[in-house]
Amino acid sequence: MHIMEGFLPWQWCLIWWIIALPCLMLGIYQLKKVLDADREALPLLGVTGGFIFILSSLKLPSVTGSCSHPTGTGLSTISFGPWITAVVCAIVLLFQSLFLAHGGLSVLGANIVSMGIVGPLVGYGVYRLLRDTSVNMYVTVFLVTALADMFTYVTTSLELALAYPAETGGFVTSFILFMGIFAVTQVPLAIVEGIVLALVFKYIVALKPDILIRLKVFSEEKINAARSEC
Amino acid sequence: MAYRYTLELLAGIAIVAFCAMFLYTSATMSGAEFAGSDNVGSGLIAELSGRPADNFQPLIAQWEPPSGEIESCLFALQAAFGGILIGGVFGFWFGQARGRRAE
Repeated sequence: MHIMEGFLPWQWCLIWWIIALPCLMLGIYQLKKVLDADREALPLLGVTGGFIFILSSLKLPSVTGSCSHPTGTGLSTISFGPWITAVVCAIVLLFQSLFLAHGGLSVLGANIVSMGIVGPLVGYGVYRLLRDTSVNMYVTVFLVTALADMFTYVTTSLELALAYPAETGGFVTSFILFMGIFAVTQVPLAIVEGIVLALVFKYIVALKPDILIRLKVFSEEKINAARSEC
Repeated sequence: MAYRYTLELLAGIAIVAFCAMFLYTSATMSGAEFAGSDNVGSGLIAELSGRPADNFQPLIAQWEPPSGEIESCLFALQAAFGGILIGGVFGFWFGQARGRRAE
């Protein structure tokens, strides 16, 4: 999902930075608030952030004959919401821009918007929709993770289609072409990521249910019921 | 209790299916180079804009790993950092849970 340095006109770089910056500031504010209220949230932040570090470094092959990487943002989205997730993603993307030439400083805003903001926001919407229903907790984690991953790539396609509309067919044609490269490649990766992170969530429930209850990630009844099955 | 390990089983099946899909794709798809989708996307940008890919110069100067080996080393470091965080915290939680059970 990385848009490479120099591949986005400066006007678009500026627009995505302007969108990303307030979200990051809100994320930093929320992060401080959460950690001030409960220092035990820090290890959970470490775990959820750790998965963003690991999964976004794994380039995996896919059905389209090209490689892509998962985003790992689902657990952080569920535990801390989209804005704190944006901050963690910004750190990972900055590392990749500075040391790996993946992405770049001018396009960092655009990459933060896709991986750190829109993907997690969609995931968070699904989470809020399903959290208090009878839908199984692990199914919710799976859906949030898979959709946050998929919509990261849909957003990258959108960002590129806006900047490079096709000569014939304009934005729509361009969007379909970019979706063919980014989103289709991502489908199997998003499914596997969803299942694996649902499994990781099961282990968090088994080992540290109290922090999930205090952060109101799911209701106490749901977490205790899931824990008794572990 | 019968469903205790359902998620582990599903994760195992998903990973095996994913590997099988890769082997099938690489054996049957002609021209599958398994390049990064970022690079394929950059190729499409060049095509749509009518400019060669080499023509796109960084807006902000950027350091590039001098070789593929250095790049994989840095990617591995990134993954290792995440792994240390996860392993450390899960180990800490596991110790806490064992302590609670012992009390």
